[in-house]
Amino acid sequence: MDNLAKHLLQRLMRRIPASMLKSTLDKWGRLTAEKRKSLDFTQSKWTITQELVALYVTENPNQGMWHTFQLLDPEDDAHSVELMQFKEQFKSHLSELKRNVSVKIKKHTDEAVWIRVAWGDGLSRPNHLKATYVVHYLQTPYVFVNALSSKNKPLLLQALTLSTKHQQIKAANLSGQKLTALRDLLMRQYQQVFPTKYPSPLPEKLRIEKVQAEASASRHRMAGETFGDGMLPALQSAFFQLETKFKDPTNEAMTQRDEPFICSVKFSSSNLLESLRHCASSGIASTPVTPLLSSIPLKGRNYFVITDNVPTA
Amino acid sequence: TPHSGVVKRRSKSQSYRRSIRTCFGVASGLSLTPALTARRMNICRKAPRSQNITEKVKPEHLALLVKTEWQLSYVTPLYQFRHTQLKTYARQLSAFIAAEKQQGLAVEVGGLQNTFKVSFSVLQGLAETNDDPETVLIQVQSKPMFARQEDPPKTVWSGWLSCINGNPEYLQSLPKDFTCLPLFCSKGAEGLSSLVKSWLQRTFDCCFGPLDINQTTLQWLAALWTNCHMETNIQKLKMIWTLPVVPPLQVTYTVDSDDALELWRSTRESSAEKSRGAEDEVCIDFSEVTRFMQGLMSHFYRHFRVDLSAGELNQVSSALGSAKLNGKIKQISDQHLQPAHRMCPPENAHL
Repeated sequence: MDNLAKHLLQRLMRRIPASMLKSTLDKWGRLTAEKRKSLDFTQSKWTITQELVALYVTENPNQGMWHTFQLLDPEDDAHSVELMQFKEQFKSHLSELKRNVSVKIKKHTDEAVWIRVAWGDGLSRPNHLKATYVVHYLQTPYVFVNALSSKNKPLLLQALTLSTKHQQIKAANLSGQKLTALRDLLMRQYQQVFPTKYPSPLPEKLRIEKVQAEASASRHRMAGETFGDGMLPALQSAFFQLETKFKDPTNEAMTQRDEPFICSVKFSSSNLLESLRHCASSGIASTPVTPLLSSIPLKGRNYFVITDNVPTA
Repeated sequence: TPHSGVVKRRSKSQSYRRSIRTCFGVASGLSLTPALTARRMNICRKAPRSQNITEKVKPEHLALLVKTEWQLSYVTPLYQFRHTQLKTYARQLSAFIAAEKQQGLAVEVGGLQNTFKVSFSVLQGLAETNDDPETVLIQVQSKPMFARQEDPPKTVWSGWLSCINGNPEYLQSLPKDFTCLPLFCSKGAEGLSSLVKSWLQRTFDCCFGPLDINQTTLQWLAALWTNCHMETNIQKLKMIWTLPVVPPLQVTYTVDSDDALELWRSTRESSAEKSRGAEDEVCIDFSEVTRFMQGLMSHFYRHFRVDLSAGELNQVSSALGSAKLNGKIKQISDQHLQPAHRMCPPENAHL
């Protein structure tokens, strides 16, 4: 929810008389009965407003910018961490690291644990309108974070690491607007944990149609093998920072340079993986697909820095 | 090593003019029609010339032109257009717009109560040679009927007619009553653009045509802007391609300006012909532009094994401005020195 919308909601809520709040929301009809029941109308309007915003965010996870982190070096008991334990540990670790925070944790039906952290400072109460959202699937190494300031980042990451019984956490170089796309991209590698929810790629649903030439069939096959068959997670962009030397046999002057040729490439599409798959199957991208592009689905990343020393960083 | 980016105030205005000329000059020059001259103009352009141009364009005029996206059209020479009659033209165009509105023609701006006021003015200094007619700026301002006196009217549409560095032979060959201002740039509601063009057509017996910026133009701009990096920090050269896959894939390829310049220089050094004009001008051949683009695309291919030429170059931009395939150009200016480029002979504007 952008700031303007939040501002409008605040103003609206202020103008609706408290006694009419419940009936207004009922009439509005946008919240399910279950959600409406979850709202406690004995609370202050301000609190209810914050809860409405939180509801909105959890219902619309494909907005804002999500960044992925990966937990590393699990301790022996990391695999047995369950919800209650995680909740307690996270809240306790975070409040040790920072005073005046408000944490709400809830597990959704799809096994996702949603954490909402409202940060307060010395003078003001925690503000849930500007909360940080964290989504984590227990027993997986991935954590998705939205709206985290650089100031609070080390605290949050520390609390997450400790409460999941890991020793380290690092940026996973995968960001985007669509939480579901990021999650699906990573979970494809995690099928053993979610066998029913994230089935393995559908076998051969690819429409090869009237492909006569062997080369074309081979391209299609390689495209499918690299990016997957059937529906692909709707990742929207990938960014490559290139710092490699310029090598072109027809251009001696540039090839002899010692310094790297600095440039960056950003690929964008409403569904990047499908676009890239089509590039491969149509021949626009030569097959076998270069590791730079195949790293996107294989490593579950969309941010890369490529230097001559590390060809597929 | 990065450019220091220190610019003196005087050179700022020089750069505005040159910047504008490059941008609009290239666009108008290369996109005008017929075959013979098209081939000639695509092959060779005079490279940037470093001159000491004194400040000729007023800052407030420059401010009107830069940092805005303009839609380009070309127009054939205007019959009996007088720079001395601008006030009359302003009155006539105002009346025309009002009359068309009366007839119920939707103008898209404001309610029926809006009054439109038109002004014509001369933007001095953009013309480079004595033969180039001065640029004419047209502005349409709107004020709701019930607005207060002190409310300033809002400019809802602007456009300008210009001739940047026309071929002197051609200009002199035109019959006396014709004024050549072949470049028309407009910004604002489409309805008003149509009305203004309509009025110009019937008043000066001219014709308009779209000036689409094509792939060739964009490639020229990429090369020329990179060339300008020798004098002016263009910061980065950014190019946007679209690849024809489903769903369409957009590729934004941004090159560091120093590296782009080295690549450009290397393609020029290996060029077989390098003609030097009498005034120390260097001619840029289109084959050099092609080699430059091929260098960029091959570096891309080496990493991604994707052939960019299978797609379409849609946009080129740098600190100096941006140009898009649909005929829109933006001159960012407040950047530095940029030498002038010759525009293509306006005789191509004949239909």
